[in-house]
Amino acid sequence: MLGSILSQYARSLAVFAAFLLMVLVESLGIREAIYPGLESFFNWMNQSSWLGVIGTTYGSVYATVEALHLLSMAVLGGTVLATDLRLLGIICKDVPSETLVTGTHKCFRWALLMAILTGIFCAAGVANKVYFMEVFWIKMLVLITGSCFMLFIKQPLLTSRPHAQINPWTIRLLAVTSMLIWFTVAATGRWIGFS
Amino acid sequence: MNENGKVDDKTIAALSSGAIILGGLLYYWLGEGQSAVELLELAYGSFKFFNNPLVF
Repeated sequence: MLGSILSQYARSLAVFAAFLLMVLVESLGIREAIYPGLESFFNWMNQSSWLGVIGTTYGSVYATVEALHLLSMAVLGGTVLATDLRLLGIICKDVPSETLVTGTHKCFRWALLMAILTGIFCAAGVANKVYFMEVFWIKMLVLITGSCFMLFIKQPLLTSRPHAQINPWTIRLLAVTSMLIWFTVAATGRWIGFS
Repeated sequence: MNENGKVDDKTIAALSSGAIILGGLLYYWLGEGQSAVELLELAYGSFKFFNNPLVF
C-alpha cells in the first residue's frame, strides 16, 4: 500500500522532500554552519586553481568566456520566452505549443550546459568577491531550483500528453513561474556584475 | 488529470512546485522593491519617481 503510493506519487513526494529539506536547512542553522567553511574553497578557486589563475591573469580570456556566458544566457532566455509566451497564448499562435515545447528543449539544455560551464570559469575569476555577495548565493539557489523545475517538473508534464488535456491554469502557472525563474537568474547575474 | 479523472503525480508536482517557487520569487522581488523605496525615502525624505530637484 505504502509502496504503491510512493511509486505513484514519487515526483510530488520528491518536491515535498526538497521543500522540507530547505526549511530544515534554514531553520536549524545548517546554512550558517556550512558557510564559513566554504571561504577557503572560494579563495583556492580564485588564487590557486587553473581556472582562477587564467581568469585573473588573462583579461582577454575572461572577457571571451564571459561573452560566451552571456550568449548562452541569451539563447536560454530566448528558448524560455518562446516556449512560455506560446504557452500563455501570446506569440506563435499558429504553431502547436507541443511542437514548440519539444523543439526548444534541446536548445535549452545545451544553452544551460554552456551557461553553467562558462559561469564556473567566470565565478572562479572573482571567487574571493562573490563569496561575500548575498545575490550570488540567491542566483545559485534559483539556478539550481530552476534547472530542476525545467528538467524534472515542467518538461515531463508538458510532453506527457496533448496540452488540451492539461488544465490551462496549470500551464499558465508553469509558464509564469519559468519566466520569473530565468528573469531572476539573469537579473541577479547582472547584479553580481554591477556589485 | 489522467484518464481515471484523478489528478496525477506530474500535475501535483507541477502545481505544488510552481506555487512554492513563484511565491518565493515574488516575495524576494517585492522585498527588494520595498528596501529600494526605504533607501530612497532615507536619502530624499519621500519617495517620488522623479527626485530631480529641477522637476516640480
